[in-house]
Amino acid sequence: MSEGRARDGVVGADAVGELAVGGQVPDFDLLDHAGNQRRLSQLVGGDPTVLHFYRGWWCPKEQAFFRRLLALQDDAEVAYSRILSVSVDSPEVNAAFRAGLGARWTFLSDPDRQVQKQLRLRETTDTLNDPYVPAVVVIGPDLRIHALYNGYWYWGRPTVDELVKNLRDLSRALRPDWEAPTP
Amino acid sequence: MSRCWLALVEGPAHGADAAAPALTLDGRPAGTLAAWNRRAKPVRQALRVDERLIDPHGAAGWISLVLPPSGVRLAFDDLAVQQARRLVLLHPFPAAVSTLLRDDSHFEGAITVVRSAEDEQRLRDDPFARVFPARLLAVEAGILGAVSPPTGPTIERYGSGNPWPWDQFT
Repeated sequence: MSEGRARDGVVGADAVGELAVGGQVPDFDLLDHAGNQRRLSQLVGGDPTVLHFYRGWWCPKEQAFFRRLLALQDDAEVAYSRILSVSVDSPEVNAAFRAGLGARWTFLSDPDRQVQKQLRLRETTDTLNDPYVPAVVVIGPDLRIHALYNGYWYWGRPTVDELVKNLRDLSRALRPDWEAPTP
Repeated sequence: MSRCWLALVEGPAHGADAAAPALTLDGRPAGTLAAWNRRAKPVRQALRVDERLIDPHGAAGWISLVLPPSGVRLAFDDLAVQQARRLVLLHPFPAAVSTLLRDDSHFEGAITVVRSAEDEQRLRDDPFARVFPARLLAVEAGILGAVSPPTGPTIERYGSGNPWPWDQFT
């Protein structure tokens, strides 16, 4: 987090790797947990989306953070919002992890680390797994980054309330009938 | 709103945009699975379906066709229907799936498509078959398309006139 933002009490981060608030996530292609080739823009569709890069199933911090996302899932399933989780694990590993969690959103696999390299999100301190730096971005249909969280240190990750606020702000901007139609 | 209609009819499907013979799993004729792209309902038993599920050039497959008993209707928001949608997202996604609708408020069935013998076994655990009875049928080439897995975890329809999992408002 930049000093200025920290001083101002602003949550989140300004930039992680090539990701920056106000910038766009590249429209990458990856395999989903079922082995289908998927493009980010098609997965995001017309909805606000939480795009989550994580180290791997083995990391206790990720296991803790997934419990937050599972709590968000029950809101997101009725709120026209989407969740995507990306790691370097294979589709088979992602499928098993997803099933064990009870997650009902799409997991993406980057075992060749091509997107990781493109985004400069390799966690250099872990030379055993070469995982993603944990990061969460909240994006809209144009893939523009509305909010960004650097999760290298666990407390840098968003709370459910912060994600709800980000999704609310994006939805308000996105939905032309946000102000409820009344007589 | 979806303008695509689906029905299992006896005999030829007049005016259908796509149609293929359906067989029971032991090989007996079960009618013709047919689809029409039009505003007006083509036959009495037709129900609206996700248009992506229909492809006149689509390969053969197996379906689980879930339909309510005559005279029975269930709200689309019924908890059993909600939970079936959650289970569809949780499990390996089939080649295609669509709920079936007559109006904006009621769940009037579902169709699930698979294309491998292994997945045909999974059809026997169709989550929608816990809501209403299912018929497992083999369908020849000429009607069944593919629906990309939804991103998740949305279980709501994008407009009540659209079947689930159609995934956009436009």
